[in-house]
Amino acid sequence: MADPVLEVHDLKVTFRTENGSVPAVDGIDFAVAPGQTLAIVGESGSGKSVSSSAVIGLLPSNADVSGEVLLDGRELNGLPNDELRKIRGNDIAMVFQDALSALNPYYSVGWQVAEAYRLHHDVSKKVARRRAVEMLDKVGIPDAARRADSYPHEFSGGMRQRVVIAMALVNDPRVLIADEPTTALDVTVQAQIMRLLDDVQDEFGTALILISHDLGVVAEVADDVLVMYAGRAAERGTVRDLFFRAAHPYSLGLLGAMPRVDVPPKPRLTTIPGTPPGPGSITTGCPFQPRCAYTHLVGERCVTERPELTPRPGEGDHEAACHLGRRPEVIL
Amino acid sequence: MSEELLNLKDVKKYFGLRGVPWQKAQAVRAVDGVNLVVRKGETIGLVGESGSGKSTLARVATRLLDPTQGRVEIGGKDVTRVKGRRLRPIRRRIQMVFQDPQASLNPRQSVATILSTPFRAQGLRPTRAQLVELLEQVGLAEEHLVRYPHEFSGGQRQRIGIARALSVKPDLLVCDEPVSALDVSVQAQVLNLLADLRDELGLSYVLVAHDLAVVRQVADRIAVMYLGTIVEEGPAAQVYESPAHPYTKALLSAVPVPEPGVTRDRIVLTGDVPTPIDPPSGCPFRTRCYKAEDVCATKRPVLEPVEGSTEHRAACYFPEPPPLERTQ
Ligand SMILES: Nc1ncnc2c1ncn2[C@@H]1O[C@H](COP(=O)(O)OP(=O)(O)OP(=O)(O)O)[C@@H](O)[C@H]1O
Ligand SMILES: Nc1ncnc2c1ncn2[C@@H]1O[C@H](COP(=O)(O)OP(=O)(O)O)[C@@H](O)[C@H]1O
Ligand code: SF4
Ligand code: SF4
Ligand SMILES: [Mg+2]
Ligand SMILES: [Mg+2]
Repeated sequence: MADPVLEVHDLKVTFRTENGSVPAVDGIDFAVAPGQTLAIVGESGSGKSVSSSAVIGLLPSNADVSGEVLLDGRELNGLPNDELRKIRGNDIAMVFQDALSALNPYYSVGWQVAEAYRLHHDVSKKVARRRAVEMLDKVGIPDAARRADSYPHEFSGGMRQRVVIAMALVNDPRVLIADEPTTALDVTVQAQIMRLLDDVQDEFGTALILISHDLGVVAEVADDVLVMYAGRAAERGTVRDLFFRAAHPYSLGLLGAMPRVDVPPKPRLTTIPGTPPGPGSITTGCPFQPRCAYTHLVGERCVTERPELTPRPGEGDHEAACHLGRRPEVIL
Repeated sequence: MSEELLNLKDVKKYFGLRGVPWQKAQAVRAVDGVNLVVRKGETIGLVGESGSGKSTLARVATRLLDPTQGRVEIGGKDVTRVKGRRLRPIRRRIQMVFQDPQASLNPRQSVATILSTPFRAQGLRPTRAQLVELLEQVGLAEEHLVRYPHEFSGGQRQRIGIARALSVKPDLLVCDEPVSALDVSVQAQVLNLLADLRDELGLSYVLVAHDLAVVRQVADRIAVMYLGTIVEEGPAAQVYESPAHPYTKALLSAVPVPEPGVTRDRIVLTGDVPTPIDPPSGCPFRTRCYKAEDVCATKRPVLEPVEGSTEHRAACYFPEPPPLERTQ
C-alpha cells in the first residue's frame, strides 16, 4: 500500500458525564492512503462517529482524547484550535448524514460553497463564486451558474447532499470523512452520490473514510474495512478479507443478517441475539461474549480475558480480535 | 383463491395546498389512482422512492385517511365512508405498525397500558394473561409489562408496536417502514419475527419499505409505486428477477450487493422525481426514462399483463421483455 496520508494509533475517547466516564472509543488504529477508501462499519453506538470526529477535533469539550492522529506524519491530537481550524475543511473535510443541518437556510448554496473556499483562500468574492459554481457543476447540479443562487429548501435531499459534498471538496482536501452520507437518501440518489465520490477520488486522489452500516455500499466502494464493536476493533482487513474470510463472529453475524436483493431469499436471516452493550458496560473478557454463538468453542477465556487483534489468513493485514484462532464454521 | 382482505379500487388521495389568492388552488396528488388487492396469507411489499405515496396509500387503506376518490373494501365490504364507532370492527381486522418505534409509543404509558389501548378502543378489557401472551408472541416477557418505552432498545420498541397491533387479532398488518430505524442485526430479528407470526397466526402484511432487499426477504408480491401510481406489480420472484418496467429495473440496479467484485449493470437515473403537484402528462416516469418516446407523453399507460405471465403486470408502452423460459 502507498504511504498513508492519515494514520490513527491507539485512539481513545472518553466522555466525562454526570454518570461517570463513558469510554466511547477504546483504542483503535486505522490508516488510509491517497485515493483509497477505508470503510468503518458497526452497529449504532459502536463509536464510528466519535472516532471520526476525534480525527478532526470536533468533539464536545467533555471529551478526553488520547492517541496519535497523524496527517502526513504531523501530529494533530493536541494542536491548538486555531491550528486545527486551518486543517479542518482544508486538508481534512467531513460530510455528515444530515445534509440539511450542514447548510444554512438563510444563504444561497453558491454563497455557502464560496465562503467555505474563502475560509482557506485569500481571494475576492468573485473568484470564490467562480470556484463555487465550478464545484456545484462538478457534483452534478444542473445549470450550476443559475442554481447557485437557490436556497437549500429549494433543493431535494439528494441535491442538498451534493451541495454539502461540493462544500467539502472545494478546498481539494487530502482526506474526506463521510459519515453515513447516503443513509437518508433513496437508492437511486445513493448510486449517484457514490459514483460522484468515486469520480472525485479518481480525479484528485482524495482518501476517503466512509462510515456506513450498509454492507452493500461497503462491498462496492471500500478497499479496506474496519469493523467496530463497543468502541473497539473487532476485525480489520481488505474488503475481500472481510466478505470472503470474515474471522470474527460479529462480522459473520452482520453479514448473515443482511438481506440481499440479487438472490432468492433465505428462509430465515441469521440474527445476532440481543443488542450492543453500552460503552464500558463490559469490562472483562470479550465485549461480544453475551451475544456470541461461538463461546462454547473457546470456553472460559471469552469471559475472563479480553481478546486482542491477532493476524488471520488473508490478503494483507487481516486481523481479528477473537480467542477462536481459526475461522469459525458458520452457525445458522 | 383465498379470501380477499383488502381491495383498493382506483383510490386517489389529493392534499390541498392553500395557494395564494390569485393563483389556482393546487393539489398534491399523493396517490393518483391505485388498484390493489391483498388476499389472506399474502405479504405485499410496497416499494418506491421517497414521496411516491407509499405511506399515504397505507393510511388510506387502514382508514386513517379518507380517500379523495375511489373505494376501500375490507373483507369484501365497502368501508370508504364508514366513520366513528362503526369503524371499530374494521380496525379490528386491519392494524398499522409505524416506522419510528420511539415516536409511536406514548412515553408516559407502561407497556401494559400501551397494549391495552386497542382493546379499550374496542370496548374490551384485556386480562393479564392476554397481555403476557402478546408479549411472548413478539419475544418479550411478563416482566416487561410494568416498564416504559425509554427502558427498551429500538428493536424491542418495535416489538411492542407489533404486539400492540396484534392485540385485537387482526388479519392484516400494514407496516410502514417497520425496520428502517433499526441496525441490521436487529432488523433481521424483526423480519424473522414477522415471518414467524405469519406462519403461526396466518397473518397477511402490507409492508411499506424503501429498502428493496428487506422487501425481497419477506414479500410474496411486490407493488412498485412512482408518483402516486403503481407502475409494476407481480409475484416477488418475477419482479425481482425480470422487472418489466424501466423504473423498477433502474431501481433494482441501484441497490448495492454485499459481495465485493460483483459489478452491477447500473442504470443511473438522472434528475429528481417530478413534483406530485404537477406530474408529467402521459407516463409519470417519462421525464427520467431511458426508453421514453413521443407516445409516452400522450396518455398514461395502464397496468397490463407482461408477456408470458398472468399475474405480473406493468404500466409501460415498452416493457422489458420477459426471460426466454417464460415465453416458451
Ligand atoms: N398532509 C399532507 N399535506 C400535503 N402533502 C402531503 C401530505 N402528506 C403527504 N404529502 C405529500 O404526498 C406525497 C406522498 O407522500 P408519502 O408520505 O405518502 O410518500 P412515501 O412514499 O411514504 O415517502 P417516504 O419514502 O419518504 O416515506 C409527497 O409529495 C408528500 O409531500
Ligand atoms: N457527547 C457525548 N457524551 C457522552 N457520550 C457520548 C457523546 N457522544 C457520543 N457518546 C457515546 O459514545 C458512543 C459512540 O457513539 P457514536 O460514535 O456516535 O456511535 P456510532 O457513530 O457508531 O453510531 C455511544 O455510546 C454514544 O452514546
Ligand atoms: S472471543 Fe469468544 S466471545 Fe468473543 S467473539 Fe471470540 S468466541 Fe465470541
Ligand atoms: S411508458 Fe414510456 S416513459 Fe413510461 S416507462 Fe414506459 S417507456 Fe418509459
Ligand atoms: Mg454515527
Ligand atoms: Mg413514508
